[in-house]
Amino acid sequence: MNDALSAANAPKQASGAGLRQSMAWLHTWCGLWFSWLLYAVFLTGTLAVFEDPISHWMTPEHHAEEAALEAASAAAVTGTAGADRGQRLARAVAYMAQHHATQDMWEIWPADANGGGELRAYWFDAERRYVMARLDPATGAPLPDAAPAGPVRGTHGGHHFVDFHYTLHAGTAGLWIVAIAAMAALVALVSGVISHRRIFRDFFTFRPHRGARSWLDAHNAVAVLSLPFQLMIAYTGIVFTATLFLPAGVMTHYGTDAGARVRHAAALSSPVPHARTGRAMAVPDLEPFAARAGQLMGQPVRAVVIDHPGDAGMRIGVYGWNDAPGLERRMSATSGMVAFSPEGEVLHVRQPGGAGDGAASFTSQVMGNLHMAGFGGVSMKWLYFLCGLAGTAMMGTGAVLFMVKRRAARTDGFGAWTPRMHRVIEALNVAAIAGLPIACVAYLWANRLLPLSIGQRADWEQGMFFAGWALALLHAFVRPPSRAWRDQLATLAALCLLLPLANALTTGDHLLAELARGDLESVGVEATCMVLGLLAGIAALRVRPRAAVPARAASGRRAAATLDSPGGAS
Amino acid sequence: MTGLLPAVLACALAYAGMAALCFAMGRHFEQATGRRSVPPRLRRALRVAGAVLLGASLQVSLDGWGAGVGWVAWLGFLTVGALLTTGLWAAWPRLAAGAAAVCAASGLLALIPWLR
Repeated sequence: MNDALSAANAPKQASGAGLRQSMAWLHTWCGLWFSWLLYAVFLTGTLAVFEDPISHWMTPEHHAEEAALEAASAAAVTGTAGADRGQRLARAVAYMAQHHATQDMWEIWPADANGGGELRAYWFDAERRYVMARLDPATGAPLPDAAPAGPVRGTHGGHHFVDFHYTLHAGTAGLWIVAIAAMAALVALVSGVISHRRIFRDFFTFRPHRGARSWLDAHNAVAVLSLPFQLMIAYTGIVFTATLFLPAGVMTHYGTDAGARVRHAAALSSPVPHARTGRAMAVPDLEPFAARAGQLMGQPVRAVVIDHPGDAGMRIGVYGWNDAPGLERRMSATSGMVAFSPEGEVLHVRQPGGAGDGAASFTSQVMGNLHMAGFGGVSMKWLYFLCGLAGTAMMGTGAVLFMVKRRAARTDGFGAWTPRMHRVIEALNVAAIAGLPIACVAYLWANRLLPLSIGQRADWEQGMFFAGWALALLHAFVRPPSRAWRDQLATLAALCLLLPLANALTTGDHLLAELARGDLESVGVEATCMVLGLLAGIAALRVRPRAAVPARAASGRRAAATLDSPGGAS
Repeated sequence: MTGLLPAVLACALAYAGMAALCFAMGRHFEQATGRRSVPPRLRRALRVAGAVLLGASLQVSLDGWGAGVGWVAWLGFLTVGALLTTGLWAAWPRLAAGAAAVCAASGLLALIPWLR
């Protein structure tokens, strides 16, 4: 960034150093304008790693239910309950034939991985919605939906963070914005590496209390040391929805009409072509298919899917249950699958996590799984969380560094507009780096404080997230920068550290009780929140009022004093 | 809780390896010892030790998660090990070097039954 600064202001040079200089220029400006958005995407994406624990924490009314389900599934003796799988399948087929005979796809989930549990049937209704009925395993009669024992806490849970980090809650438009930002992230990463002159000599270097130098060291350290992760996460993030951004391939092979995407998705998910023939044929007894498939793929049967039921062109697909130890070691999270003709001929076998559906399908599975940490278990989730925080800190330190440099050097980057632009950038830095985490924790607070009875409760919670962020933005423009930093970091620290108290006062649950019943997901959410709150508190204490020190001489010390703010806030 | 032991082990070895590479660099050697330059033999020994420890970390990772996931996990452990090294070295270089020695010794000891 030393180079970045000079390149941003110096006239173009046509020498050998030109490449590095132009890359530094690119890195500075591409990085600056996208850093706030990317910071938000990275922070919420990092929280999205723990979507399930956050959802768990946000639905305390379901804790007993979840524990009971787990206990029931653990209690079921492996293998013994499997004897009645044939009867369960037959009952579900009878139900579907009686009530939903005309649907083109029947999907039956006969039992859980141990052969017990619920019997369920799925199909697409008239509006192409995927719907489900729970059936009584002993009779096949549909079961009424169990009424919740208490009031339901309407919430989007951790999914709010997942959704925000790739669509900003703005649908396809948001998807495009985030994808462009991800491209900018790749540009910034590559240009940053090229313009970094001493990437190996400074590999482990961090010099605290040295002003802009410290910020540059911190920015370099978190970025260079987590570079494989940052490249991977930005790249796989784009690849995830690449057919939307790069539609030429799909258009060439599947056409440009409305059905093209559906046909493309169908071809990716089922490699065996099938079509109705018009000749009637009864749905055969499914148990022999399930038993054969179980042997071929080496997994217990999760689902039996019948395409075109009642037609001679029928396809019977049997899918397996993934087990946790298997998922940990596989790059792709697909289960085993065997496809049959109605006569019982094996048409296709896909081993669990295998490339049996072809290279394109396997590649897309692995890319998606790489992005979502679908493998490796809990330790991998924590690695992703830490690397995600490093990426967030990379964005935060970069944005702060831009201003620290300009304050120290009194650089004039925007002509007559410089003071105003610097004020705007400073305020956006505060609102993005300290304000967004405030919004995130405000979302958790809203989950505990909003009354259970209000309508659209889940959207209210989300509204609190945006309201918190908007307030932070307003505050950042109203208060002088150093005050704004201190106020917001202190607010963040208080909200994070007091969250367990809010939980105890509203639900009566607390860390010790969670520990005692082995509810590690809730412990993890509250403990992590408190650790981040502690870091934000330390950062808040280190921010000093800027007016108290003479601007130029103390700029180094001051910058060092605010050193922890983005790291702490992230 | 599957994978917790290999994760801790791989992480400790990655930290020890990164710290050895860090120790072999003039600037960081001076931070920890006060001496200005690394003796050439020590430098070579530290670099070899660093490579061996990172290799051991890779071995634990591949063993714990298989050939595909193991490589991905290893890159994550390298990042965590290097960030730990950078952070600890900046604050308490001597303590960081001591911790690395402990991690290296206990990590390699734990590796003996691990490999059988």
